[in-house]
Amino acid sequence: MIEHILGAFGEIFALGNLALMTLGVTAGLIAGSIPGFTITMAVVLTLPFTFGLPAIEGLATMIGVFVGGLSGGLMSGMLTGIPGTPSSVATTFDGFPLARSGKPGLALGLGVWSSFFGGIISAVLLVTLAPSLARVGLEFGPWDYFALVLFALTITASLSSDNLIKGIIAGVLGLLIAAIGEDEINGVARFSFGIEDLESGFSFLPVLIGLFAFSQLLSDVQDVEKARRPLMETQAAKAVRIEHWRAIKTILARWVNLLRSSLIGVFTGVLPAAGGSISNILAYDQAKKASKTPEAFGSGTPDGIIAPEAANNATAGGALITMMALGIPGDIVTAVMLGALLIHNVIPSPTFIGDNPELAYAIFIAFFLAHFIMIGTQAFCLRAFLLVVRVPAYALATVILVYCAIGVFALNNIIWDIWVLFIFGVVGLIMRNLGFPLAPIILGVVLGEVAELNLSRALAISDDLSLFVNRPWSLFFLIIAAFSLVFPWYQKHRGRHPLTLVFLPLLCLALITPLVMMNGWFRPTLGAGLGLFAMFLLIRQTRRGWRVEPPPSPGA
Amino acid sequence: MRMTRDSYVALFLLALCGVFFHASFEIEVTNYGTIQSSLWPRVILTALTAMSALFLVTSLRRPDDGPVVAAGGFFRRYRNALWIFALFFAFVATLPVLGMLIGGFLFVFLALSALGPARLAVRPLAIHGAIAALAVGLMWAIFTFGLRVILPEGELLRGLV
Repeated sequence: MIEHILGAFGEIFALGNLALMTLGVTAGLIAGSIPGFTITMAVVLTLPFTFGLPAIEGLATMIGVFVGGLSGGLMSGMLTGIPGTPSSVATTFDGFPLARSGKPGLALGLGVWSSFFGGIISAVLLVTLAPSLARVGLEFGPWDYFALVLFALTITASLSSDNLIKGIIAGVLGLLIAAIGEDEINGVARFSFGIEDLESGFSFLPVLIGLFAFSQLLSDVQDVEKARRPLMETQAAKAVRIEHWRAIKTILARWVNLLRSSLIGVFTGVLPAAGGSISNILAYDQAKKASKTPEAFGSGTPDGIIAPEAANNATAGGALITMMALGIPGDIVTAVMLGALLIHNVIPSPTFIGDNPELAYAIFIAFFLAHFIMIGTQAFCLRAFLLVVRVPAYALATVILVYCAIGVFALNNIIWDIWVLFIFGVVGLIMRNLGFPLAPIILGVVLGEVAELNLSRALAISDDLSLFVNRPWSLFFLIIAAFSLVFPWYQKHRGRHPLTLVFLPLLCLALITPLVMMNGWFRPTLGAGLGLFAMFLLIRQTRRGWRVEPPPSPGA
Repeated sequence: MRMTRDSYVALFLLALCGVFFHASFEIEVTNYGTIQSSLWPRVILTALTAMSALFLVTSLRRPDDGPVVAAGGFFRRYRNALWIFALFFAFVATLPVLGMLIGGFLFVFLALSALGPARLAVRPLAIHGAIAALAVGLMWAIFTFGLRVILPEGELLRGLV
């Protein structure tokens, strides 16, 4: 083990890799700070550069972009009131007022250092939890894996869109795209419609870059007038000196908020598809509820900056835990990383850490290191950000479009991939405009093959379909998949409809069966604990008389 | 009940399912393997058909969630996207002839000019030319010399050289 850790250290701290990571963090910070240019797009665009690199260097660079992007969103949010990424929406609520009240240095310091501490806490959890979760993953059979993929798709569909049906349709469309071309099991071409290029199917990356980056760029320049204006018109954003020491002292004095928000971030990241855009709002909300002065939130209170920034960086660690331990991407960014690993013939699964220890440790170390580099490059990136935002959107978008074309061509050296990029760019823009979320479709494309392979394996072992509900892990995932489908309704009507009062108790009660069926003492005990918790919730509601709030009046 | 934008989308999805279901019967039947290659796609298509049908029903019940844009409005609204589609299509179609360097330059230059300032004078055109040359040239150099990727040279450049 020690030699693998030392080997990983040697690879990560090699000068070339350090330079690449610094470049990656810088690119992430700048991309994250520009409204409309998401972290995913930054990571997707970095990918073509990493094809030719060894796996460790390529992944370390992408982790750098990921961490940089998560921290970059706070710059524009605090200085202009426009969040750079959806992950920093809540940061703006207090960051902007604090910056406007004459303390932009402190506001930026709080954001930067909260991101750092949140990231480090999640990195510690990544190192400790990923191997343990991978050991749990070794218990999974093909039935359980198939059910896990189903859960990943249903929760993505339910969390990424207001319209659950559109989310599910997007996920299933992703599975259909993945089914086109030669199947992995029998080697038979499917849905080629007589087109020779379709017989081998679509490469994952042109589809991903088309759906996400290409369509995003088109969406950014859709408004003719807006496209001609600079990315941001702001006079407020002038060079600011970050108040590091004051920020650190302020954050450490509020360590409970920091820890709670980081844990919220990690937990959100572990859930498939629930990324930083959700965790930052959740953490802000919890910080406000727990605060002795909730009325101060929104006026520039440090707690309102610490919570979202610690949470969104911690989400990255959580997403990496699921990807490394189970081979299931925690969000779209980790889906891209999974694609990058596949290019290097590394298949993330529960055996990933054991089979590729040096690569796994390198990912852990790179994740730690990226946060230190982020602190070091923040001041430079702030200046770069002020320059980049003067560029009109149409100029940046056009240049990136041609870069996308070159990047996807570099994957297989075939022009067909550029056509795929174009086709899925058009599809992505149409889907965006019609209100279909793109996260489920991307997850469907990534997980389609995994689902089919595991279904085939399950049926090869036994044609008894009841195994999907007789095996504890499979049943566990099917139950939470079913509940995740009802979750948007629960969230919308929470406290206003009598059935929402039984949602949580029912979920706990439903999970008792699979947990009690599992081996060992911990999980059955956890099942019993959930049963008691459910009873407590039910008794409490009975005492309260199952009261619900009246629905809001139409005029309200 | 009245047709909404989502209803048309649902109908399109149902038609798509029909096409793919039909195509699934043309998938080769093998006498090996644990499951037929057509099984998984049919599972997906069944789910997609069911969800599309549900989508159609809900879209007919709901108030319209998006206007069906008239042709004139459509072209105004999606002017930039349509420019990019047309230019990118031309860029990829002519890639074997123009190559990545010349084709890329022309795409960036023309796209910048189409999306940029409404009145095109010499100065913006010169700036667009400079951006196109610098951006495409730099990326071409990075990929060709740095990453050792052989980008499409194009018959034109090959002929000139």
